[in-house]
Amino acid sequence: MTGPNATTSACSSAAKMGRQRSKSTSGSTYSNSKPGAESATLSTPNNAGRSSGEEDEKDGGVLFYVNRTGFPIEGVTWERMWTHVAKVHPDGQDIVRKIRNAAYLPKHPVPPVPNFKPSMSVPDWLLAIQNYMKTLQYNHTGTQFFEIRKTRPLCGLMETAREMIRESLPIKCLEAVILGIYLTNGLTSVERFPISFKTQFSGNHFHHVVLGVYCNGRYGTLGMSRRQDLMDKALTFRTLSELVLEFEDSYRRYQHTLKKVKIGLYVPHDPHIFQPIEWKYLVLNAARLGREDMRKELEKHGRDMRMKILKSSTAQSPIKERSRGKSLSPRRRQISPQRRHVHRRDKSPASLDRKPAELSTLNDGYQIRI
Amino acid sequence: MEPACRKDKPKLNSTPTRGDRAKQKSAQQEQKQRQRAEIYALNKVMTELEQQQFEAFCKQMQSQGE
Repeated sequence: MTGPNATTSACSSAAKMGRQRSKSTSGSTYSNSKPGAESATLSTPNNAGRSSGEEDEKDGGVLFYVNRTGFPIEGVTWERMWTHVAKVHPDGQDIVRKIRNAAYLPKHPVPPVPNFKPSMSVPDWLLAIQNYMKTLQYNHTGTQFFEIRKTRPLCGLMETAREMIRESLPIKCLEAVILGIYLTNGLTSVERFPISFKTQFSGNHFHHVVLGVYCNGRYGTLGMSRRQDLMDKALTFRTLSELVLEFEDSYRRYQHTLKKVKIGLYVPHDPHIFQPIEWKYLVLNAARLGREDMRKELEKHGRDMRMKILKSSTAQSPIKERSRGKSLSPRRRQISPQRRHVHRRDKSPASLDRKPAELSTLNDGYQIRI
Repeated sequence: MEPACRKDKPKLNSTPTRGDRAKQKSAQQEQKQRQRAEIYALNKVMTELEQQQFEAFCKQMQSQGE
Protein backbone atom coordinates (compact mmCIF):
# COMPACT_ATOMS: atom_id res chain seq x y z
CA MET A 1 0.00 0.00 0.00
CA THR A 2 1.03 3.50 -0.62
CA GLY A 3 -0.86 6.53 -0.09
CA PRO A 4 -1.46 10.06 0.10
CA ASN A 5 -2.85 11.99 2.85
CA ALA A 6 -5.81 12.41 4.88
CA THR A 7 -7.29 15.71 5.57
CA THR A 8 -10.63 15.28 3.91
CA SER A 9 -13.24 17.75 4.88
CA ALA A 10 -15.98 15.60 6.30
CA CYS A 11 -19.42 16.12 4.89
CA SER A 12 -21.97 16.34 7.62
CA SER A 13 -25.11 16.02 5.56
CA ALA A 14 -27.31 12.95 5.53
CA ALA A 15 -26.83 10.07 3.14
CA LYS A 16 -27.33 11.28 -0.38
CA MET A 17 -26.91 10.39 -3.98
CA GLY A 18 -25.58 13.15 -6.04
CA ARG A 19 -23.43 14.31 -8.83
CA GLN A 20 -19.88 15.20 -8.26
CA ARG A 21 -17.44 17.04 -10.41
CA SER A 22 -14.74 14.72 -11.56
CA LYS A 23 -11.45 15.16 -9.85
CA SER A 24 -8.34 15.26 -11.89
CA THR A 25 -6.47 12.95 -9.64
CA SER A 26 -3.77 12.09 -12.01
CA GLY A 27 -1.49 9.54 -10.45
CA SER A 28 -3.22 10.65 -7.37
CA THR A 29 -2.84 8.95 -4.21
CA TYR A 30 0.25 7.14 -5.18
CA SER A 31 2.46 9.51 -7.03
CA ASN A 32 2.79 13.01 -8.22
CA SER A 33 1.56 12.91 -11.72
CA LYS A 34 2.15 16.48 -12.71
CA PRO A 35 3.09 16.46 -16.38
CA GLY A 36 6.61 17.51 -17.02
CA ALA A 37 7.60 16.87 -13.45
CA GLU A 38 11.17 15.95 -12.90
CA SER A 39 12.02 12.36 -13.47
CA ALA A 40 12.20 11.40 -9.84
CA THR A 41 9.52 13.27 -8.06
CA LEU A 42 8.97 13.12 -4.40
CA SER A 43 5.37 12.52 -3.47
CA THR A 44 4.65 14.98 -0.76
CA PRO A 45 1.61 15.44 1.41
CA ASN A 46 0.66 18.63 -0.37
CA ASN A 47 1.38 18.10 -4.01
CA ALA A 48 1.54 21.32 -5.94
CA GLY A 49 -0.95 21.57 -8.73
CA ARG A 50 -3.73 19.77 -6.92
CA SER A 51 -7.01 21.55 -7.13
CA SER A 52 -8.51 22.67 -3.88
CA GLY A 53 -10.83 20.19 -2.33
CA GLU A 54 -8.80 17.21 -3.48
CA GLU A 55 -7.40 15.01 -0.82
CA ASP A 56 -3.70 15.30 -0.21
CA GLU A 57 -2.35 11.94 0.62
CA LYS A 58 0.66 10.22 2.08
CA ASP A 59 1.52 6.77 3.14
CA GLY A 60 1.07 7.32 6.82
CA GLY A 61 3.63 10.10 6.72
CA VAL A 62 6.20 8.12 4.79
CA LEU A 63 7.21 9.64 1.50
CA PHE A 64 8.09 7.65 -1.57
CA TYR A 65 9.68 8.32 -4.91
CA VAL A 66 8.48 7.38 -8.37
CA ASN A 67 10.56 6.43 -11.38
CA ARG A 68 9.22 8.31 -14.37
CA THR A 69 11.92 7.81 -16.95
CA GLY A 70 11.73 4.16 -17.78
CA PHE A 71 14.58 1.70 -17.84
CA PRO A 72 17.43 1.51 -17.21
CA ILE A 73 16.68 3.85 -14.33
CA GLU A 74 18.49 7.10 -14.91
CA GLY A 75 21.07 8.59 -12.60
CA VAL A 76 19.05 11.07 -10.57
CA THR A 77 16.32 8.59 -9.73
CA TRP A 78 18.82 5.84 -9.02
CA GLU A 79 20.90 7.95 -6.65
CA ARG A 80 17.81 9.23 -4.92
CA MET A 81 16.70 5.66 -4.24
CA TRP A 82 19.96 4.89 -2.50
CA THR A 83 20.01 8.16 -0.60
CA HIS A 84 16.56 7.35 0.72
CA VAL A 85 17.62 3.84 1.75
CA ALA A 86 20.69 5.22 3.54
CA LYS A 87 18.39 7.46 5.54
CA VAL A 88 15.76 4.93 6.52
CA HIS A 89 17.81 1.80 7.16
CA PRO A 90 19.55 1.59 10.57
CA ASP A 91 22.74 0.40 8.86
CA GLY A 92 22.35 3.14 6.29
CA GLN A 93 25.47 3.66 4.25
CA ASP A 94 26.89 0.22 5.01
CA ILE A 95 23.98 -1.50 3.38
CA VAL A 96 24.13 0.81 0.41
CA ARG A 97 27.85 0.30 -0.06
CA LYS A 98 27.61 -3.44 0.39
CA ILE A 99 25.03 -3.86 -2.34
CA ARG A 100 26.27 -1.27 -4.81
CA ASN A 101 29.87 -2.41 -4.61
CA ALA A 102 29.15 -6.10 -4.64
CA ALA A 103 31.10 -7.81 -7.40
CA TYR A 104 28.54 -10.52 -7.54
CA LEU A 105 24.85 -10.35 -6.75
CA PRO A 106 22.47 -13.28 -7.02
CA LYS A 107 20.32 -13.09 -10.07
CA HIS A 108 16.64 -13.02 -9.21
CA PRO A 109 15.02 -15.27 -11.81
CA VAL A 110 12.51 -13.67 -14.15
CA PRO A 111 9.24 -15.47 -13.47
CA PRO A 112 7.44 -16.80 -16.53
CA VAL A 113 4.31 -14.88 -17.39
CA PRO A 114 1.27 -17.00 -16.56
CA ASN A 115 -0.15 -18.59 -19.64
CA PHE A 116 -3.87 -19.21 -19.66
CA LYS A 117 -4.93 -22.63 -20.89
CA PRO A 118 -8.59 -23.38 -21.67
CA SER A 119 -8.40 -26.35 -19.32
CA MET A 120 -7.69 -24.03 -16.37
CA SER A 121 -10.50 -23.10 -14.04
CA VAL A 122 -10.95 -19.44 -13.17
CA PRO A 123 -9.74 -19.90 -9.57
CA ASP A 124 -6.62 -21.66 -10.88
CA TRP A 125 -5.96 -18.83 -13.30
CA LEU A 126 -6.38 -16.19 -10.61
CA LEU A 127 -4.05 -18.17 -8.38
CA ALA A 128 -1.47 -18.31 -11.17
CA ILE A 129 -1.71 -14.54 -11.59
CA GLN A 130 -1.42 -13.92 -7.87
CA ASN A 131 1.58 -16.24 -7.59
CA TYR A 132 3.22 -14.38 -10.45
CA MET A 133 2.76 -11.07 -8.66
CA LYS A 134 4.08 -12.55 -5.42
CA THR A 135 7.17 -13.73 -7.26
CA LEU A 136 7.78 -10.17 -8.42
CA GLN A 137 7.59 -9.28 -4.69
CA TYR A 138 6.19 -6.34 -2.85
CA ASN A 139 8.35 -3.28 -3.33
CA HIS A 140 9.89 -2.19 -0.03
CA THR A 141 12.67 -0.07 -1.53
CA GLY A 142 10.90 3.27 -1.14
CA THR A 143 10.99 3.98 -4.86
CA GLN A 144 8.09 2.96 -7.04
CA PHE A 145 9.48 1.74 -10.33
CA PHE A 146 6.43 2.12 -12.55
CA GLU A 147 4.48 5.32 -12.81
CA ILE A 148 0.73 4.82 -12.65
CA ARG A 149 -1.51 7.74 -13.43
CA LYS A 150 -5.01 6.73 -12.51
CA THR A 151 -6.67 9.03 -15.00
CA ARG A 152 -4.74 7.65 -17.94
CA PRO A 153 -6.71 5.80 -20.57
CA LEU A 154 -6.90 2.06 -20.07
CA CYS A 155 -4.81 1.40 -23.18
CA GLY A 156 -1.95 3.45 -21.71
CA LEU A 157 -2.12 1.62 -18.40
CA MET A 158 -2.04 -1.70 -20.23
CA GLU A 159 1.18 -0.56 -21.87
CA THR A 160 2.58 0.02 -18.37
CA ALA A 161 1.46 -3.49 -17.42
CA ARG A 162 3.45 -4.86 -20.34
CA GLU A 163 6.43 -2.88 -19.13
CA MET A 164 6.03 -4.37 -15.65
CA ILE A 165 6.19 -7.84 -17.18
CA ARG A 166 9.16 -6.93 -19.35
CA GLU A 167 11.21 -5.36 -16.57
CA SER A 168 10.10 -7.83 -13.88
CA LEU A 169 10.67 -5.72 -10.77
CA PRO A 170 8.99 -5.45 -7.36
CA ILE A 171 5.61 -3.73 -7.38
CA LYS A 172 3.19 -2.08 -4.99
CA CYS A 173 -0.57 -2.22 -4.66
CA LEU A 174 -1.59 0.13 -7.45
CA GLU A 175 0.76 -1.47 -9.93
CA ALA A 176 -0.64 -4.87 -8.92
CA VAL A 177 -4.16 -3.70 -9.76
CA ILE A 178 -3.08 -2.63 -13.24
CA LEU A 179 -1.17 -5.85 -13.78
CA GLY A 180 -4.12 -7.88 -12.53
CA ILE A 181 -6.38 -6.16 -15.03
CA TYR A 182 -3.96 -6.86 -17.85
CA LEU A 183 -3.57 -10.53 -16.98
CA THR A 184 -7.32 -11.10 -16.67
CA ASN A 185 -8.19 -9.30 -19.89
CA GLY A 186 -10.09 -11.50 -22.28
CA LEU A 187 -11.44 -13.80 -19.61
CA THR A 188 -14.89 -12.39 -20.07
CA SER A 189 -16.50 -14.53 -17.39
CA VAL A 190 -14.43 -12.57 -14.85
CA GLU A 191 -15.37 -9.01 -14.03
CA ARG A 192 -12.76 -6.75 -12.45
CA PHE A 193 -13.23 -3.59 -10.47
CA PRO A 194 -11.03 -1.55 -8.13
CA ILE A 195 -11.62 -1.47 -4.37
CA SER A 196 -9.84 1.35 -2.52
CA PHE A 197 -9.47 1.70 1.22
CA LYS A 198 -8.63 4.63 3.42
CA THR A 199 -7.73 3.71 6.98
CA GLN A 200 -6.36 5.34 10.05
CA PHE A 201 -3.61 4.15 12.34
CA SER A 202 -2.00 6.09 15.12
CA GLY A 203 -3.25 9.41 13.82
CA ASN A 204 -2.12 8.90 10.23
CA HIS A 205 -4.11 7.94 7.18
CA PHE A 206 -3.22 5.16 4.80
CA HIS A 207 -4.45 4.24 1.37
CA HIS A 208 -4.57 0.88 -0.30
CA VAL A 209 -6.16 -0.60 -3.39
CA VAL A 210 -6.91 -4.14 -4.57
CA LEU A 211 -8.55 -5.55 -7.67
CA GLY A 212 -11.98 -6.96 -6.94
CA VAL A 213 -12.97 -9.89 -9.13
CA TYR A 214 -16.39 -11.33 -9.70
CA CYS A 215 -17.12 -14.62 -11.42
CA ASN A 216 -20.07 -16.92 -11.43
CA GLY A 217 -21.72 -15.48 -8.38
CA ARG A 218 -18.58 -15.20 -6.25
CA TYR A 219 -16.30 -12.32 -5.31
CA GLY A 220 -12.59 -12.29 -4.55
CA THR A 221 -9.56 -10.05 -4.98
CA LEU A 222 -6.11 -9.90 -6.48
CA GLY A 223 -3.49 -7.55 -5.13
CA MET A 224 -0.23 -6.86 -3.36
CA SER A 225 0.35 -5.57 0.14
CA ARG A 226 2.85 -5.75 2.95
CA ARG A 227 0.21 -7.79 4.80
CA GLN A 228 -0.85 -11.22 3.57
CA ASP A 229 -4.49 -10.81 4.48
CA LEU A 230 -4.90 -7.47 2.74
CA MET A 231 -4.21 -8.55 -0.79
CA ASP A 232 -5.61 -11.62 -2.52
CA LYS A 233 -8.81 -13.25 -1.37
CA ALA A 234 -10.19 -16.45 -2.85
CA LEU A 235 -13.23 -16.32 -5.10
CA THR A 236 -15.50 -17.52 -2.32
CA PHE A 237 -17.42 -14.49 -1.12
CA ARG A 238 -21.08 -14.56 -1.99
CA THR A 239 -21.58 -10.81 -1.80
CA LEU A 240 -19.51 -7.68 -2.22
CA SER A 241 -20.30 -6.67 1.35
CA GLU A 242 -18.90 -9.94 2.71
CA LEU A 243 -15.68 -9.27 0.82
CA VAL A 244 -15.32 -5.68 1.98
CA LEU A 245 -16.19 -6.52 5.56
CA GLU A 246 -13.57 -9.25 5.46
CA PHE A 247 -11.05 -6.56 4.58
CA GLU A 248 -12.32 -4.44 7.44
CA ASP A 249 -11.78 -7.34 9.82
CA SER A 250 -8.30 -7.90 8.43
CA TYR A 251 -7.45 -4.25 8.89
CA ARG A 252 -8.58 -4.43 12.48
CA ARG A 253 -5.94 -7.09 13.14
CA TYR A 254 -3.36 -4.45 12.30
CA GLN A 255 -5.15 -1.84 14.39
CA HIS A 256 -6.19 0.10 11.35
CA THR A 257 -9.63 1.68 11.44
CA LEU A 258 -11.47 1.73 8.17
CA LYS A 259 -12.46 5.25 7.22
CA LYS A 260 -13.55 5.05 3.60
CA VAL A 261 -14.17 2.43 0.97
CA LYS A 262 -14.35 3.29 -2.70
CA ILE A 263 -15.69 0.81 -5.18
CA GLY A 264 -15.17 1.37 -8.88
CA LEU A 265 -16.97 0.04 -11.90
CA TYR A 266 -16.20 -3.05 -13.95
CA VAL A 267 -13.14 -2.53 -16.11
CA PRO A 268 -13.78 -3.31 -19.78
CA HIS A 269 -11.91 -6.28 -21.21
CA ASP A 270 -10.84 -4.46 -24.33
CA PRO A 271 -7.24 -3.35 -23.61
CA HIS A 272 -7.26 -0.81 -26.40
CA ILE A 273 -10.02 1.50 -25.30
CA PHE A 274 -9.29 5.08 -24.45
CA GLN A 275 -11.64 5.23 -21.48
CA PRO A 276 -10.00 5.61 -18.06
CA ILE A 277 -10.77 3.25 -15.19
CA GLU A 278 -13.61 4.36 -12.95
CA TRP A 279 -11.94 4.12 -9.53
CA LYS A 280 -14.58 5.45 -7.21
CA TYR A 281 -18.16 5.13 -8.32
CA LEU A 282 -19.37 4.34 -4.82
CA VAL A 283 -17.73 6.06 -1.87
CA LEU A 284 -18.67 4.85 1.58
CA ASN A 285 -17.77 6.77 4.69
CA ALA A 286 -17.22 3.81 6.96
CA ALA A 287 -16.61 6.05 9.93
CA ARG A 288 -20.19 7.27 9.79
CA LEU A 289 -22.10 4.35 8.33
CA GLY A 290 -22.94 1.44 10.52
CA ARG A 291 -21.96 -2.05 9.44
CA GLU A 292 -25.53 -2.78 8.35
CA ASP A 293 -25.81 0.37 6.26
CA MET A 294 -22.48 -0.40 4.62
CA ARG A 295 -23.68 -3.88 3.85
CA LYS A 296 -26.85 -2.56 2.23
CA GLU A 297 -25.00 -0.02 0.09
CA LEU A 298 -22.42 -2.54 -1.02
CA GLU A 299 -25.03 -5.10 -1.90
CA LYS A 300 -26.96 -2.57 -3.90
CA HIS A 301 -23.84 -1.56 -5.77
CA GLY A 302 -22.95 -5.18 -6.36
CA ARG A 303 -26.42 -5.85 -7.78
CA ASP A 304 -26.27 -2.77 -9.99
CA MET A 305 -22.87 -3.79 -11.30
CA ARG A 306 -24.04 -7.32 -12.03
CA MET A 307 -27.05 -5.97 -13.88
CA LYS A 308 -24.65 -3.68 -15.75
CA ILE A 309 -26.79 -0.63 -15.31
CA LEU A 310 -24.01 1.62 -14.08
CA LYS A 311 -22.12 3.81 -16.50
CA SER A 312 -18.77 5.43 -16.06
CA SER A 313 -18.60 9.20 -16.16
CA THR A 314 -16.53 9.01 -19.31
CA ALA A 315 -18.79 6.63 -21.22
CA GLN A 316 -20.45 8.70 -23.91
CA SER A 317 -22.10 7.92 -27.21
CA PRO A 318 -20.08 9.12 -30.17
CA ILE A 319 -21.17 12.47 -31.56
CA LYS A 320 -22.93 12.15 -34.90
CA GLU A 321 -21.34 13.73 -37.92
CA ARG A 322 -23.32 16.76 -39.11
CA SER A 323 -23.92 17.40 -42.78
CA ARG A 324 -23.12 20.77 -44.17
CA GLY A 325 -26.09 23.07 -44.42
CA LYS A 326 -28.17 21.38 -41.79
CA SER A 327 -28.81 23.14 -38.57
CA LEU A 328 -26.86 21.71 -35.72
CA SER A 329 -28.70 20.37 -32.75
CA PRO A 330 -27.22 21.25 -29.38
CA ARG A 331 -24.09 19.29 -28.55
CA ARG A 332 -24.84 16.30 -26.38
CA ARG A 333 -24.37 17.29 -22.78
CA GLN A 334 -21.76 15.35 -20.92
CA ILE A 335 -23.47 13.44 -18.18
CA SER A 336 -21.74 13.99 -14.89
CA PRO A 337 -20.91 10.83 -13.05
CA GLN A 338 -23.67 9.53 -10.89
CA ARG A 339 -21.22 8.96 -8.13
CA ARG A 340 -22.58 8.10 -4.79
CA HIS A 341 -21.12 9.32 -1.58
CA VAL A 342 -22.90 7.60 1.21
CA HIS A 343 -22.74 8.66 4.79
CA ARG A 344 -25.35 9.12 7.45
CA ARG A 345 -25.67 12.04 9.80
CA ASP A 346 -23.97 10.98 12.95
CA LYS A 347 -26.49 11.70 15.67
CA SER A 348 -24.09 10.91 18.43
CA PRO A 349 -21.72 13.65 19.57
CA ALA A 350 -19.11 14.25 16.92
CA SER A 351 -16.26 11.86 17.36
CA LEU A 352 -12.91 13.48 16.97
CA ASP A 353 -10.07 11.83 15.19
CA ARG A 354 -8.06 11.53 18.30
CA LYS A 355 -4.59 10.16 18.02
CA PRO A 356 -4.51 7.18 20.35
CA ALA A 357 -1.78 8.20 22.72
CA GLU A 358 -1.10 4.65 23.81
CA LEU A 359 -0.14 3.61 20.30
CA SER A 360 2.05 6.55 19.43
CA THR A 361 4.12 6.28 22.59
CA LEU A 362 4.81 2.61 22.09
CA ASN A 363 6.51 2.42 18.82
CA ASP A 364 9.31 4.96 18.29
CA GLY A 365 7.65 6.16 15.12
CA TYR A 366 6.98 2.77 13.51
CA GLN A 367 3.72 2.72 11.61
CA ILE A 368 1.98 -0.47 10.58
CA ARG A 369 1.81 0.26 6.89
CA ILE A 370 -0.31 -1.79 4.59
CA MET B 1 49.09 12.13 -53.90
CA GLU B 2 51.44 10.35 -51.62
CA PRO B 3 49.64 8.14 -49.12
CA ALA B 4 51.73 9.67 -46.30
CA CYS B 5 50.78 13.18 -47.28
CA ARG B 6 47.20 12.42 -47.72
CA LYS B 7 45.22 14.02 -45.03
CA ASP B 8 42.66 11.86 -43.42
CA LYS B 9 39.34 13.05 -44.53
CA PRO B 10 37.14 13.86 -41.55
CA LYS B 11 34.08 11.68 -41.15
CA LEU B 12 31.20 13.77 -42.39
CA ASN B 13 28.54 11.45 -41.13
CA SER B 14 28.44 11.59 -37.28
CA THR B 15 25.33 9.48 -36.80
CA PRO B 16 25.86 6.29 -34.84
CA THR B 17 26.55 3.24 -36.89
CA ARG B 18 24.70 0.02 -36.56
CA GLY B 19 27.59 -1.30 -34.54
CA ASP B 20 27.43 1.67 -32.15
CA ARG B 21 23.73 1.18 -31.66
CA ALA B 22 24.18 -2.50 -30.93
CA LYS B 23 26.90 -1.69 -28.39
CA GLN B 24 24.71 0.92 -26.77
CA LYS B 25 21.81 -1.49 -26.57
CA SER B 26 24.01 -4.16 -25.08
CA ALA B 27 25.37 -1.71 -22.50
CA GLN B 28 21.84 -0.66 -21.60
CA GLN B 29 20.78 -4.26 -21.22
CA GLU B 30 23.71 -4.95 -18.92
CA GLN B 31 22.92 -1.88 -16.88
CA LYS B 32 19.31 -2.99 -16.54
CA GLN B 33 20.39 -6.45 -15.41
CA ARG B 34 22.76 -5.01 -12.84
CA GLN B 35 20.09 -2.60 -11.59
CA ARG B 36 17.61 -5.41 -11.30
CA ALA B 37 20.03 -7.50 -9.28
CA GLU B 38 20.71 -4.55 -6.95
CA ILE B 39 17.02 -3.80 -6.59
CA TYR B 40 16.20 -7.33 -5.54
CA ALA B 41 19.16 -7.43 -3.14
CA LEU B 42 17.94 -4.15 -1.67
CA ASN B 43 14.34 -5.33 -1.52
CA LYS B 44 15.41 -8.40 0.45
CA VAL B 45 17.14 -6.20 3.01
CA MET B 46 14.25 -3.76 3.27
CA THR B 47 11.68 -6.55 3.52
CA GLU B 48 13.63 -8.05 6.41
CA LEU B 49 13.82 -4.66 8.08
CA GLU B 50 10.07 -4.18 7.78
CA GLN B 51 9.46 -7.66 9.18
CA GLN B 52 11.78 -7.03 12.14
CA GLN B 53 10.16 -3.71 12.92
CA PHE B 54 6.68 -5.19 12.68
CA GLU B 55 7.56 -8.08 14.98
CA ALA B 56 9.18 -5.74 17.48
CA PHE B 57 6.11 -3.55 17.43
CA CYS B 58 3.79 -6.51 18.00
CA LYS B 59 5.93 -7.72 20.93
CA GLN B 60 5.87 -4.28 22.43
CA MET B 61 2.11 -4.14 22.10
CA GLN B 62 1.76 -7.53 23.73
CA SER B 63 3.98 -6.68 26.67
CA GLN B 64 2.15 -3.39 27.10
CA GLY B 65 -1.12 -5.26 27.09
CA GLU B 66 0.15 -7.59 29.78
